[in-house]
Amino acid sequence: MREAGMRRPLAFLSTFLAMVRKEFTIMTRYPVEFIASFGQIFLIIAVFTLAGLTFARAGGRGEGSTFGGVVIYGFILFLFLSDTLWTIGYNIRREQKQGTLEQLYLTPASKFASLVSRVASTLLWVSLLSLAGVWMMAAMLGGIPFHNPGLGLYILAMSLLGTFGVGFAFAALTLRIKETGQTVANALQFILLILCANFFPFSALPEWLRAVSRLIPLAHGVDAFRSALMGFPPGFPELAPLQVELLVVSLFGLVMPWVGYALYRRAELRARQTGSLSEY
Amino acid sequence: MVGRVEIAPPLRARLAVVLASTRMRLLTISRYKGQLLLDVFIPIVLASMPILMGRAIGGQQAGANFALTAGTPNYVAYMLIGSSVFAIISYAFWHVGYWLRWEQETGTLEAIYLAPTERVWLVAGTALYSMIRSLVSALTAYFLGSWLFGVNPLNGSLLLAFLFILMGLIPVFGLTLFFGALILQVKEANALINLMQWGVTLLMGIYFPVVMLPPLLRWLALAFPPTWMLNGVRSALLGVGFFLGTWYRDLAVLWAFTLFTPLLGYWTLLQVERRVRANEGVGQF
Repeated sequence: MREAGMRRPLAFLSTFLAMVRKEFTIMTRYPVEFIASFGQIFLIIAVFTLAGLTFARAGGRGEGSTFGGVVIYGFILFLFLSDTLWTIGYNIRREQKQGTLEQLYLTPASKFASLVSRVASTLLWVSLLSLAGVWMMAAMLGGIPFHNPGLGLYILAMSLLGTFGVGFAFAALTLRIKETGQTVANALQFILLILCANFFPFSALPEWLRAVSRLIPLAHGVDAFRSALMGFPPGFPELAPLQVELLVVSLFGLVMPWVGYALYRRAELRARQTGSLSEY
Repeated sequence: MVGRVEIAPPLRARLAVVLASTRMRLLTISRYKGQLLLDVFIPIVLASMPILMGRAIGGQQAGANFALTAGTPNYVAYMLIGSSVFAIISYAFWHVGYWLRWEQETGTLEAIYLAPTERVWLVAGTALYSMIRSLVSALTAYFLGSWLFGVNPLNGSLLLAFLFILMGLIPVFGLTLFFGALILQVKEANALINLMQWGVTLLMGIYFPVVMLPPLLRWLALAFPPTWMLNGVRSALLGVGFFLGTWYRDLAVLWAFTLFTPLLGYWTLLQVERRVRANEGVGQF
C-alpha cells in the first residue's frame, strides 16, 4: 500500500518542491489576492478592536493588552488552522473542476507530497500575514503581551500537524460528498469560530458550550497557545491545566495526521474503484 | 422567440425576463438546503462573536459601557441587527457583483450575450432573487438570534425599520453594479469580495457606532448608503438616534442615494464592459 514516493525520500522531496513551486507560481499570478488578503487582515483587526473597545470604555476586565492578546493570538491560530483545514479539500476540488485530478493520479509522483504541498505555500503567506496582524494590533492598542515564544511555537506546530490530519479527513469527505463539501466546510468553520473562541475568552461561553469546547483538541490548542504567549495571566489557560492541554495538543498533532491520511486513502481507493474520482 | 419579444408590450416582456431570471436562481438554490440553513446561521454566528467578546470584556457592566458610545445598552439586539443587515448587503454584493462570474462558471455567459434580451433585466432578476433570499434569511436570523440570546425582537417600530431596509436596498444594488464593474476589470472576484465584506463591516459599523471611526473614515462611512440604512434600522428598533435627528431626514438622504447610485452604477458597468469586450473579452477570467 505504501507509495513509491514515500519509500524514496529524495523523490518525495523533489515532488514536494515541484508542487510547492507550482502552487507559488499560481499564487503570484493573482497579485490582487495578495493585496486584498493584507487589507482584509487589517480590516478584521480594526473591526474587532473597535468592537472590543466599545465595551471596555469604562475600564472593564481585559481592557488593553490582555484583550488584544486574546483577540490577536486567537485570530492568528484561526488563520493558520482554517488554511490548513480546508486547503487540501479545496484543492482536490479545484483539480476535479480543472479536470487534472485523474492525470495527477496517473503520474508516479507521491500523492502525499501533492496533498501536503497545497498547504505549504499558504502557510508561508499566513505567517507573513500573522506578523503584520500582530504589528497592527500592537500599534492600535499600544502594545500586546508576548511571552514564551518557544512554547507558543511548539503548540502552534502541534496544532498545525493535527489540523493537517483533519484536512486530510476533510479531503476524504470532499471526495465523497463533492459540492456539498463547500457548505460543510463553511458551516464547520463558523461552528469552530465559536467553540474554539478565537475572538473572545472561553469564559464568555455558557458552561454547556464550554463543556463541548473541552472535547475539541483544537480548542485546547487555541487556549494553550494564547495563554502561553500572554504569559499565563490570571484565569488562563481556561479549559484545563497547561499540562493537560499540552498532552491533548501533542496527541492531536502526533496521531491525527495518520488517522486523516488513512481516511483519505480509503476514500481515494473507493473513488477509484467506483470511477468517481473526477466527478464533481 | 424573437417574434414573441417583438409583439409583446416591452415592459411586460422585460418583467417576464426579470421574473424568469429570479425563478431560475430560486430554483437552483432550493436544491441546496444546507446552504439555505447556513444563510440563517451565519448572521447569528457573526453577531455572537462581538456579543461574547463584550460579555468577557465588560462583564456586568457590558451594557452600560456599550450604551456610552452606542446609545443603547441592548448590545445583543444591536449586534444582531448589524449582522442581519450586513447579510442583506453582503448577499447583494455576492449575487449581483458576482453575477457575470457566476454566468462564466456555469457556462451560460455566451448564451446570454447572444440572447435578444437586455442584460440589465437579467441583473434585475438576480437582484430580486438576492433581495428575497437575503430578506428571508436576515429576518429569520434576527428573530432566531433574539430568541437564542433572550432579547425581545419586537421593540421599537418594526414598520419604520422595514421601510429603511427597503429604501436602502435600491442604492445598495446600485453600489453592487460599481462592484461588478470592478470585478469585470480586475477579474479576481473572490479576493475582492472578501476584502469588500470586511470593508463594509468597518464602514457601516456593524459592531460599533460609526462615531468611533477616525474623522476621515467617518465621512467616508456617511457617504456609504448602507451606513444610513443600518443606522435607520437601529434607530427605529433601539432608539440609538438618527444621524440628522429625525427619521424622515435620514430617509430623505437614502432617497437621494436611490436617485443616482443605480444609474451611475449601471453606466459604470456598461463602460467597463464595453472596454473589456473590446480588449480581452468578458469570457476570460
